Amino acid sequence: MTATASSRSVSASASASRRTASPRPTAGRGVRRVLYVIVLLAIAAIFITPYLFSVMAAFKPLSEIQGDRAWDLPSHFTLDNFVTIFTQYDFGGYLLNTAMVTIIITVGQVVFSLLGAYAFARIQFPGRDAIFWGYLSMLMVPNVVTMIPLYVMMSRVGLTDTYWALFLPYVFGTPYTIFLMRQYIQSIPSEVIEAARLDGCSELGVLRRVVVPISRPIIMTATIIAVIFSWNNFLWPLIATSSNGLQVLSVGVANFNSNFAAQWNLVLAGSLVALIPMVILFVLFQKHIVNSVNLSGASR
Amino acid sequence: MTQIALGRSSTEQAAPPKTAADHRTNRRRTLTAYGLLAPSLFGTVVFLGIPVILVLIFSFLKWNLLTPPKFVGLSNYLDVFTHEGAGHALLVTFYYFLLNIPFQTAFALLMALLMNRQGRFTSIIRVACVLPYLATPVAMGVVWQWIFAPSTGVVNTLLHLVGVTGPDWLNSPGWSMPVVAFANIWQYVGYNMLFFLAGLQAVPPTLYEAAAIDGATTVQRFFRVTLPLLRPTMLFVLVTGAIGSFQVFDSVYVMTNGGPGTSTTVMNMLIYQNGFIGFRIGAASALSVILFAVILVVTLVQFRYFNRRTVYEMV
Repeated sequence: MTATASSRSVSASASASRRTASPRPTAGRGVRRVLYVIVLLAIAAIFITPYLFSVMAAFKPLSEIQGDRAWDLPSHFTLDNFVTIFTQYDFGGYLLNTAMVTIIITVGQVVFSLLGAYAFARIQFPGRDAIFWGYLSMLMVPNVVTMIPLYVMMSRVGLTDTYWALFLPYVFGTPYTIFLMRQYIQSIPSEVIEAARLDGCSELGVLRRVVVPISRPIIMTATIIAVIFSWNNFLWPLIATSSNGLQVLSVGVANFNSNFAAQWNLVLAGSLVALIPMVILFVLFQKHIVNSVNLSGASR
Repeated sequence: MTQIALGRSSTEQAAPPKTAADHRTNRRRTLTAYGLLAPSLFGTVVFLGIPVILVLIFSFLKWNLLTPPKFVGLSNYLDVFTHEGAGHALLVTFYYFLLNIPFQTAFALLMALLMNRQGRFTSIIRVACVLPYLATPVAMGVVWQWIFAPSTGVVNTLLHLVGVTGPDWLNSPGWSMPVVAFANIWQYVGYNMLFFLAGLQAVPPTLYEAAAIDGATTVQRFFRVTLPLLRPTMLFVLVTGAIGSFQVFDSVYVMTNGGPGTSTTVMNMLIYQNGFIGFRIGAASALSVILFAVILVVTLVQFRYFNRRTVYEMV
């Protein structure tokens, strides 16, 4: 165990010599490289194509969506779907509500989960395993299970149909994020943390100076998860709020579908608008993930 | 190893306290730990723990939220199996789980291996793979409904080109669940790939160098180095994937609404139908408790399996 741990820490410090993509130049390397690119492009196509269809459909009138072949370009290219959701519905308001709630939930979840995950992963204290098992069992609680009691509880204290209802259940961190971060923090070599402690670092100091910098990829990942979860969360906002001023994107989009008839055109236009911030954010974070790996000396 | 798989923290085990100073340090550490845990502990107890206790209580009640609840003992549990088809829904849920998890995990790992290289190109492809996960499930359900539509759908139009008449996928009891599973794999495989990528990037490169010096082939390196070191990631992906599978709802709701017949009526669908349509809070709660119990058992089995060999013994 000791040998393993030290080999890991050596690798962390001496990884400037990371191998390049393919260590041995061989005759078939060019062919392999081409095959590799083709396979990647094929995978990308599988994931993008259905989405392309729905993006195109967002610019089609409803009649064309219902009857047409998906790969046809819109014959009547129209922005009407977008105009409708912003003028006849308060889509701008939905966007603002969703953004606010998402920011609050994400900051809370990431900070509080990190604190908890560090305690579970790196501090030996009485009751740790029992509490952690409590968390794990909470991880297995189906979301739908807690909805009814949660609604009853919230309405008893008069918090339903308020902003509080939208973020309170999620802002303190989730067992999921704690589990995720704990797994990562546990993989940090003990020597690094023990050295910081011996140098007189407090637990918070260890967390801030050692764990947070090393854990940047997982913090980024947890942030993405929190943002996406909150941005697309549906069932709870639907139950917890009723006034139009508190409506969030997911509920708004679903309402396009269920109000009277299925307005697939509005659903698709709305979900396209809702998707754009997520994609921008993900692309930015993706860069961060790659950079943080580079900074830790893993490559270049 | 009575400690649980996840708690395998022998390197963190503090030496038994010997002096007064040790005791002080230990107490300070304990207080720090509880301080760090306080916010998440509060949130989890209030917004998860208490609701779970309440749902247990509700499962013994006959209650429609309007009239006062009545204590009925275990009759909700008997009713859901005899009248509400809980047994069938459990089978349907297991079927979905079996369709979903092996493929999702295998593809996610394969994709992560392919994309575990730095570069602008792989970055773009990664974003493409995660794109479905970023979209709201309601909208994706609509897209798949439409792609698998019987006559105008993309799939059947393509099949027609090669002379095959495709089935009415979502309205056929045999195909509805595989299509729902396919849509879910498509939506979540990129997301799971991210975890494998994070895991792969934590593998020390020196291990590969050592393996290469020892003459290990690519396949050997994968099975002897990569896979063992990915074990914690694998555990995470499998456990969360299984838990997610047993709670599948959004896509089923949008694509099939549990049908045709009861061919896609998973447990969560049945809970929803009882609780939010029929307002049988007691029955819905009893179903929730049953689902909870099943998820617990499946998760424990996974932990047990993954606990058999620990990660670092392989290195």
